[in-house]
Amino acid sequence: MTPRFAKKRDGRIDLTLERAEADLIEGLPEQLLALYEGERTDPARQRLFPRAYLDPTEEEAETQWEALVHPDLLAGRLAALEQLRGSLAGAEPGRRDRIVVHIQPDDVNAWLSVLNDARLALASRLGVSEDTDLMELDPSDPESAGKAAYAWLTYLQGELVETLLGDLPG
Amino acid sequence: MSAPAAPTQAPPAPLEVQEPELDESVGTDRPWLVIVWNDPVNLMSYVVYVLQKLFGYSREKATRLMLEVHHDGKAVVSDGSREKAEADVARLHANGLWATMEHSA
Repeated sequence: MTPRFAKKRDGRIDLTLERAEADLIEGLPEQLLALYEGERTDPARQRLFPRAYLDPTEEEAETQWEALVHPDLLAGRLAALEQLRGSLAGAEPGRRDRIVVHIQPDDVNAWLSVLNDARLALASRLGVSEDTDLMELDPSDPESAGKAAYAWLTYLQGELVETLLGDLPG
Repeated sequence: MSAPAAPTQAPPAPLEVQEPELDESVGTDRPWLVIVWNDPVNLMSYVVYVLQKLFGYSREKATRLMLEVHHDGKAVVSDGSREKAEADVARLHANGLWATMEHSA
């Protein structure tokens, strides 16, 4: 079986996707953009931009920290979306109607970031908890498609993390 | 956190999210603690990866901290001045980890 992520000698990582999988990934930037630029009270957005201070007596410090940090965090996330789009734009046809995305070394963390944000956002929307059963999906469940997407993104991110952990000291 | 899962499998063993405790102590000479909280989404392997990447920790130390988050609901992953803690929290948030800071008791 072709590995999902194949490390190349020049440092890039090749990701092999089925067409439907590529479609799912291609839809992420638009969905995440709407979330990033959406209502600040949205629980999914709050999960991506959490508070630094829990202590209510530090409200002033929290406000200052958010004013300082959140624009940078948002800019970083927007840049990651563009990097992922760039990788997808350079994808090439693979064998058996698959698609091969060449993820350049500078874009790897953007991919990891987008996959993780997409999972955090989906989990928030779906109310994923430790009790959520993603193994036995009920087709009549209106959220089954979202849960399937979440499960697949979880698998994909896990594969990418395993690939990257090999580059760090064991 | 959850372990990596195949597409047909549930992310196993996510844990309960605990309500954070508030630290009401005050003072200036005690370090600020940066805390990572457990959540049902972040992969165990991903948390190890982020802690190694951000803080330069060994695989062993990052794994020990990840397991502490997993089993105890939270772990102190770094400490220092208020400014350092604020920067560390921002970096953890940029990577999707749920982190907060509080003054050490």
